[in-house]
Amino acid sequence: MADTPGSIPAAKPRAAELQLPPQTTLYLDALRRLVRNRLAIAGMVILGLLLICAIFAEQLAPYDPLEQELLLRRQPPSAQHWMGMDEVGRDILSRIIFGARISLQIGIVSVSLAIVVGALLGAVAGYKGGWVDDLIMRVMDILLAFPSLLLAIAVVAILGPGLMNMLYAIAFVSIPVYARIVRASVLSVKEQDYVLAARAIGVPPTRILFRNVLPNCLTPLIVQGTLGIATAILDAAGLSFLGLGARPPTPEWGAMLGQGRGSVFTAPHIVIFPGLAIMMTVLGFNLLGDGLRDALDPRLRV
Amino acid sequence: MTRYIAQRLVLLVPVLLGILVITFSMLRLIPGDPARIMLGEHATEESIARFREAMGLNDPIHVQFWRYLTNILHGDLGRAIRTNEKVTVELMQRLPATVELTFGAMFLACIIGIIAGIISAYYHNTVIDLGTMVGALVGVSMPVFWLGLILMYIFGFKLKWLPPSGRLTVGVELQSLTDFFLAGVAEGTWQYKLKPITDFLSNFYILTAILTGNGKALWDALKHLVLPSLALGSIPAAIIARMTRSSLLEVLGEDYIRTARAKGLSERVVLFGHAMKNAFLPVITVIGLQFGSLLGGAILTETIFSWPGMGRLVVDRILARDYPVVQGTVLVIALIFVFVNLLVDISYAYLDPRIRYGS
Repeated sequence: MADTPGSIPAAKPRAAELQLPPQTTLYLDALRRLVRNRLAIAGMVILGLLLICAIFAEQLAPYDPLEQELLLRRQPPSAQHWMGMDEVGRDILSRIIFGARISLQIGIVSVSLAIVVGALLGAVAGYKGGWVDDLIMRVMDILLAFPSLLLAIAVVAILGPGLMNMLYAIAFVSIPVYARIVRASVLSVKEQDYVLAARAIGVPPTRILFRNVLPNCLTPLIVQGTLGIATAILDAAGLSFLGLGARPPTPEWGAMLGQGRGSVFTAPHIVIFPGLAIMMTVLGFNLLGDGLRDALDPRLRV
Repeated sequence: MTRYIAQRLVLLVPVLLGILVITFSMLRLIPGDPARIMLGEHATEESIARFREAMGLNDPIHVQFWRYLTNILHGDLGRAIRTNEKVTVELMQRLPATVELTFGAMFLACIIGIIAGIISAYYHNTVIDLGTMVGALVGVSMPVFWLGLILMYIFGFKLKWLPPSGRLTVGVELQSLTDFFLAGVAEGTWQYKLKPITDFLSNFYILTAILTGNGKALWDALKHLVLPSLALGSIPAAIIARMTRSSLLEVLGEDYIRTARAKGLSERVVLFGHAMKNAFLPVITVIGLQFGSLLGGAILTETIFSWPGMGRLVVDRILARDYPVVQGTVLVIALIFVFVNLLVDISYAYLDPRIRYGS
C-alpha cells in the first residue's frame, strides 16, 4: 500500500512522531548486552589472542616447535626461551603457540560435528514423533548413561588412539546434548500457527524444518555450543594426556603435559605452562558462553 | 512414592540393555580381527585360531550376545588377557580404591563448595562475592590432571606436607580383614565362606584401618587421600559453590525471609535456620549429579597419583589391548553411574513432593 501523491496526507503519522523504539533485532540487542558484560569481554579478549596465535603461529613462534636442542633439555625459563625448554629440549613457548591451533581446531570441529548430527537427530525426532522419536531419544538416553569421558575413552579404545579418532570420540559423546535441545525447540514450535499454516499450503517438511523450525533453536545451540567447546577442549586434553589422543611429537597441550609429567619435580615449568594454556582457553570459552547466555536469553540469568 | 520408584525402575530396563549392547559391541567394532589385535603382531595363526575358538568369536553374533548376557548374569565378565585373572576379580580389587577416592573428593567438594557459596551469597555484590565466583569459574576451567600435578609438586614435593602418590606409605602395616577376623578359621566352616567378602572389604583401606583399630594406618591412608581428592573435587566444588550461591540468593528474596527479619531474628538465624533449608534442595541434586562426572574424572586423577583404582585399570588395559578388562570396567562404571543417578532422582522426589505428584 504505497502512499500516492494526492491521497489523504497526515493520515499515517511517521514513526518518529509516534516515538517508536529504535529499530532493533534480537541479535543486535543481544550484542549490545554482550559488550556491556565485562566478564564476557574478558573471555573474548582471551579467545581473540588465542585466535591470533593459532592463525599466525608460524610468524609468532620464536622457534620451530619440533626442533630439539638436546643440550638445553629441561632448561628453566630464560631470556632466550621465555617458557623454558621441555624434556627433549624443545621451546615450550613455540609449542604452546602452535598448540593453540590444534586445541581450537579440536574444540570447534568436534562441537560443530556434534551439533550437525545432534540437531538433525533432534529435529527428526521432534518433527516425526511416534516411534522414531522414541527410538532416537532412548538411544540418546543410553549414551548419556555413561560418564562422557569414559564413553570417549571407550570410543578411542575401539577406533585406536590418535588425534582424528579422539576428535570423533568427543563429537560422538556430545551428540545427545544437542539432540535434546533441538528436539525440545522443535516440539514447542511444531504446533505454532505459522508452522501449521506453512504445512497447510504444502511447503515441504525439510523446508519448514530449515526455514521455520531450526532458526528457533539457534539461541540455545549457540550458548551450549560455546560452553561445549570448553568441555571438548578439556576432554581432548585429558585423552591426549593419557596417551589416547594426539601422538608425540604433536604440540598438543594435553600431550605436552602427559609427556612432561615425569619431570614435574625436577622441572615444574614443563607442566605449568601447557596447563595454564588449557585453563585460559577453557576459561575464555566459559566466560563467553555465560555472557552469551545472559545476552541472548535474559530469562535464564541467575 | 512406591509407584514413582517402580516407574523409574521400569524405565531403567532399556537403558541397561543399551549399556550391555554398547559394551558388547566394543570388541566387535574394532577394525580388523580382534583376536589378532589382542594377541599382538607376533602371534601365530594357530594361537589366533585357538583364541578365537576359546573366546567364541566364531559363533553367530546373536549367539555371542546371548552368551555375553547369561555370563554377566552369572557374574562372569571373562578373563583378562594380560594376567589371565578373572575380570571380576581384578575389578573387585580396584573398585574400593575408586570408591574411597570419589567419596573423599565429594566430601571435600561439599565442604569447600557450600562454604564458598554461602559466603558469596552473604556478601552479595561485593569484592568477596566477585572473587569467589571468579575462583569458581577458574575451578571449572582447570584440567583435573594439571591441578593434580601442581598440588603434587607444591604439597607433596616442595612443602612435603602430604604424600604425593599411592594409597599407603611403604612400610606401614595394614592387616587385612581376613587375617584379623578369620585367622585360624578352618576350611569348610561357615566362617570360611565369608572370606571373599572380607577380602573385598579389605581393599577399603580406611574402613579396614578403623575396623582393625589401626590408628597409624588410618592416619596414613587419610593423608594419602587428601591431594587426589582435592584435585578430583575441584570441579564439583566450583559447581556446588555456584549453585549454593544462586539458590540462596533466590531464597533470600522471598517474603518469609523478610518476615523473619522483621520479627527481629538475627541474620545468622535467618540464614541458617530459615533460608538454608529451602536453598539446599537444588544443591543436593547438583551434588548427586556430580558423582557421575567424578567417575570420569577419577580416570585422570588415578593416573596422576598412581591410585590403583578402576580408572587407571581401564587406561592401562586400553594401551595393552586387554579388551575383556576394558569392556568389564566400562560396564561396571556405567552401571554405578546409572544407579547413582537413580538414587539421586529418588531422593530428590522424596525431598520435594512436587516432583512425585506433578505432571
